[in-house]
Amino acid sequence: METPNAKQWVDFEKGLVDRIIFSDPEIYRLEMERIFARAWSFVCHESQIPKVGDFFSTYIGEDRVLAVRDKTGGVSVLLNTCRHRGNAVCRAEQGNAKVFTCPYHGWSYGLDGELVGVPGHRDFYRSDLDKKEWGLARAAHVTSYRGLVFATLDPAAVPLDEYLGEVGRIGLDFIAERGDVEVVDGVQKNVVACNWKLAVDNLFDWYHPVVSHRSAIQSGVFPRLQDEEVAFAPMSQMVMLGEYGHGIGGPMISEEVMAEVRAHLDDPDAAHALARLSVEPWRFRAKAHETLGPHGIRSRGHPSIFPNVWITLNGAQLCLRIPRGPLSTELWWFTFANKNATAEQRRSLVRITTHMFGPAGLLEQDDGENWDQCTRGTIGPAARRYPLNFAMGRGHDRVRNDGGQRRIETVVNEHGQRWTYRAWAEWMDAVDWPDLRNNHSPAPSGAI
Amino acid sequence: MERETAAVLLQHEVEQFYYAEAALLDERRFAEWLDLLTSDVHYWMPIRRTVMNADLDQEFTRPGAMAFFDDDKAMLEARVKKLATGYSWSEDPPSRTRHMIHNVRVLAVEGEELTVESNFHLYRTRLESEEDSWIGRRRDRLRRVDGAFRIAERHVFLDQTLILSRNLSNFF
Repeated sequence: METPNAKQWVDFEKGLVDRIIFSDPEIYRLEMERIFARAWSFVCHESQIPKVGDFFSTYIGEDRVLAVRDKTGGVSVLLNTCRHRGNAVCRAEQGNAKVFTCPYHGWSYGLDGELVGVPGHRDFYRSDLDKKEWGLARAAHVTSYRGLVFATLDPAAVPLDEYLGEVGRIGLDFIAERGDVEVVDGVQKNVVACNWKLAVDNLFDWYHPVVSHRSAIQSGVFPRLQDEEVAFAPMSQMVMLGEYGHGIGGPMISEEVMAEVRAHLDDPDAAHALARLSVEPWRFRAKAHETLGPHGIRSRGHPSIFPNVWITLNGAQLCLRIPRGPLSTELWWFTFANKNATAEQRRSLVRITTHMFGPAGLLEQDDGENWDQCTRGTIGPAARRYPLNFAMGRGHDRVRNDGGQRRIETVVNEHGQRWTYRAWAEWMDAVDWPDLRNNHSPAPSGAI
Repeated sequence: MERETAAVLLQHEVEQFYYAEAALLDERRFAEWLDLLTSDVHYWMPIRRTVMNADLDQEFTRPGAMAFFDDDKAMLEARVKKLATGYSWSEDPPSRTRHMIHNVRVLAVEGEELTVESNFHLYRTRLESEEDSWIGRRRDRLRRVDGAFRIAERHVFLDQTLILSRNLSNFF
């Protein structure tokens, strides 16, 4: 399946997606090559590896990689597989190392991946092995955006800035605009028996909370969720769609409320004095307005950085959906606290995030089984005759461009999901980065 | 002899308390289970990581850092309330659970409080073929209140790093 014609499975106009893409092993294999081995992937936050030799072990698709603080102070992203027999050179999730020594035959690698030690190099190899040629494979490009480290395995990838575009950048700015942030120690990880894309498309899904999460809402522990109209804002949603499949979708702050905020920018008491507006203090900073733009600042939506990054709780958390086979996905949660936060603020952040998300979170508890069962529903040959329906809102909205930021202002919808699957098909059909760069859809305009 | 007899009786009492607690959980009598917890209870499950021996001090996240559970009594009551709403889909149909408590050791007795460690095996099946198994260690502070034990602190240390289940919708 080298030229799959993936567009046959995604009918953007009708909002239909063929079930085969959620369970077919060949499609999955091609996703690893054409999406994950090409895209810019989130690797870690710089605060996780502050000291020389600190490392964090993660995945880019099915490739295991190490993000390492190297001796230059930069971040090296190395494929965690020995060049001799392929064994993992590091089996820990995190820690500090001087070298990475393969436990099989002892080849050892420096923090930048250089092969520095080969047992028997003189006596067995008769010095006939050029160490310079056999260092750990490195990511093709590594770029840090405001502390968030991204890497791509494809030398032909466009630069990260171009990849993110305005929409992807705004998504990351939701995290960075919270201040000088660091990752709170501890990445929650669990595995769900679902296809990774079903977990991804859920992040745009503001249709499911009042059903899937009704019990969490009724538990009474999240006062803000009690008012579903406020929390999920089903009648006032904003969607921003960017190139390469990035998007932001979810509740928006009205122009009227934001006008009041604008009148009090950088006033340290304003957020408190205007508590009735329920606007987060960081949105009162002039710089946040400048960075996010006149409408980005109004978004409380969920950014998706294609292919598998979800940013939530206004930038307090980032969740990776890591594919581990067509029917299995790992969820990894990173939580960001302001370095200057008081102990009490940090405590409150840890509590709200663990109580909502992660496998024991009251919201997330009820997600996994849905995605698991949805995935199973894509396997039977009869079920596969019936495409999944992503048509909500199709043809009923317009992309507005006043104020210089393209967005759709509407009710609960499935524009973000539809856009993601359209981009997915374009990634799958592109033979290489130049093809993808030349032939992907521009951000939409007009009727949608 | 008298001291040894007292230790055996205490061991028996603690074990019987745990067996009764396990039965409440497996019979889904969660409101009664809540009564076994003190009002100032801290229920906590840190995140465990695979680390090298040299980095073992980083194996578990510390209190105040990220965790799977970091609950006070109000939060645990909310979890139970959630289960009773009729919309708690991850537990409706309900999971079938079995709590097995082993290797119970009373580590310290200070006044009305005991520090007790135990190993547990929580086995869960649900729907047709879903099967989950969590094994680990609990470190509890039990407080004697009106002659009966109450749990004042429960720290749960799972043996899994990557949680191999879709969620943690049960009590440990």
